[in-house]
Amino acid sequence: MTATGASLGSTAIEGKLRSPARPYGKKRSIMPGFGITFGFTIFYLCLIVLVPLSAVFVRSAGLGPAHFVDVGFSARAMASYRLSFGAAAAAAAVNSVFGLLIAWVLVRYEFPGRRLVSAMVDLPFALPTAVAGIALTAIYAPNGWLGQYLEPLGMKVAYTPLGVVVALVFVGLPFVVRSVEPVLADLGHDVEEAAASLGAGRVDTFTRVILPAIGPALLTGFALAFARGVGEYGSVIFIAGNMPFVSEVSPLLIVTQLEQYDYAGATAIASVMLVASFALLLVINLIQIWSRKRMAA
Amino acid sequence: MGITVSGISKRFGAFTALGDIDLEARPGEFLALLGPSGSGKTTLLRIIAGLEFPDTGTVAFDGVDVTNQPITDRGVGFVFQQYALFRHMTVADNVAFGLTVRKRSTRPAKAEIARRVEELLDLVQLKDLGKRYPAQLSGGQRQRVALARALAVEPRILLLDEPFGALDAKVRKDLRRWLRELHDRMGLTSIFVTHDQEEALELADRVVVMDHGVIEQVSAPEAIYNDPASAFVFDFVGESNRLPVSVRGGRAHFGGHAFDVATDGTRDGDATLFFRPHDVEIVGAGAAALPAVVSLARPRGGGTRIEARIEGREAPLELDYTGDAPPRPGDRIGVRPLRARLFPAG
Repeated sequence: MTATGASLGSTAIEGKLRSPARPYGKKRSIMPGFGITFGFTIFYLCLIVLVPLSAVFVRSAGLGPAHFVDVGFSARAMASYRLSFGAAAAAAAVNSVFGLLIAWVLVRYEFPGRRLVSAMVDLPFALPTAVAGIALTAIYAPNGWLGQYLEPLGMKVAYTPLGVVVALVFVGLPFVVRSVEPVLADLGHDVEEAAASLGAGRVDTFTRVILPAIGPALLTGFALAFARGVGEYGSVIFIAGNMPFVSEVSPLLIVTQLEQYDYAGATAIASVMLVASFALLLVINLIQIWSRKRMAA
Repeated sequence: MGITVSGISKRFGAFTALGDIDLEARPGEFLALLGPSGSGKTTLLRIIAGLEFPDTGTVAFDGVDVTNQPITDRGVGFVFQQYALFRHMTVADNVAFGLTVRKRSTRPAKAEIARRVEELLDLVQLKDLGKRYPAQLSGGQRQRVALARALAVEPRILLLDEPFGALDAKVRKDLRRWLRELHDRMGLTSIFVTHDQEEALELADRVVVMDHGVIEQVSAPEAIYNDPASAFVFDFVGESNRLPVSVRGGRAHFGGHAFDVATDGTRDGDATLFFRPHDVEIVGAGAAALPAVVSLARPRGGGTRIEARIEGREAPLELDYTGDAPPRPGDRIGVRPLRARLFPAG
């Protein structure tokens, strides 16, 4: 007899009502293999995610609580968290707006070169991040293609926090486009027509009908872009200038610690990032569950 | 409110969806657009609604030209084939949508909207389901929510695209009767699209039969069935047998047999003869009739449905026999069409 996780859900009352031929606790399901697949899933997640991550905590625990706080919450570390999380959030927000626009165009219109545009969206995925960083720096540096025109306007992009946001916008774009695209394609044209037939203008139709329908997908895209941005290292370090307290991101600070053979210090900062990221992603997930539940009850 | 459609045509690329359509719906009338898929019936409905714009021609409501008005301003109620409910809104919010998107100056107060929604849900017999989401309803209930939502803006014209297409037979029948009552009670002018002839004949005041982008016939249901205007209508509506014949001297000839039919001035030459299964006389073999061999006989309704093969025709004839001693498979019989219609070939 296999006592699977599924049997935990059955109550004693259900058990009593069941015919005696079927032993208590054994629920018949048309989908076999829950036990083995669930077991493997847990094992795999442990192996790939949980074990390496717990090593971070174990390592940083070697510091002792006082020292941990000293390193993990030092003024320089705090400034880097603010930049990493702030820039990631800003970039994800920018991507949510323009990624939605791109997804809209890709889904709604037929035009020559649509597939080419679609492939271009994925480029940030494929490109080594360092290449992206060098390219962006070349463009936005004060003497670069775009930088030379922005400089007289008083806008500095390269070597400032703004540069960090620009780099994160670049790497995060595909996440939003690819999350929203299928949901948008699935959203029937007739829903928009229905809104129009009831007298709704384009703005009302968008804000009250389309946006709520694709909201969960958009949030997924935001979360993915945000998560990617928080951990981004390669593309950022070239354009950021990496001035402590100003344009130094947390991943760079960690690498700096490592280069000084301060492994415990590096893991302390990593632990703080990890907990913060997990908490934020958890909140985003909960919002999603809540909004999905309303739609497909 | 009367609807006048004149000279409407519409092409999609090389495909002619509608060619020069004229149609009139009188105020208070319930009209059915009936036709096979690709006949242009849905395109015509969407043009009347303002969801599609014609290449030529005009649409007028009560004599006022609305051809270039978008659907937003036409004030018609439209029920979509798949209902197109807003999934993220409750049933009550769906129904209220048309009122809550109005400009502030014309928008009713919140309490008034709530009262109207309550009233409409009561009307469509979904009084206690206002707080549910569309995903929690059955097909028939969703259909009624779609209807309540369309009626919330108090349209004078109700347009329905295959309103019963996605429902099972029993629910379909109930909803049909209910919709007809609703139409009469609210004094609407309604047009609905269907490919189901039974539905069209049972529900509509007049039926518009369409094929290949043109109107074949506009008549009351009885006339559509009893007096079809074209070979297509005869074939499409109700059961029928068709025989390729040649007309000579007021008689129809088929494979060396001749029989009398009302030729109605049909010119001599090739023609197609149509007759209903119940419009035949079955006589003994050898009489002046079409000889046939019974291949199947089974009880149906009050009589017997007979399938009989004749020489020179692939498909068997379908015939109804109401007498006491029905012929059995293998029997040789003579078939004499009674109320047959001739349509010139081609």
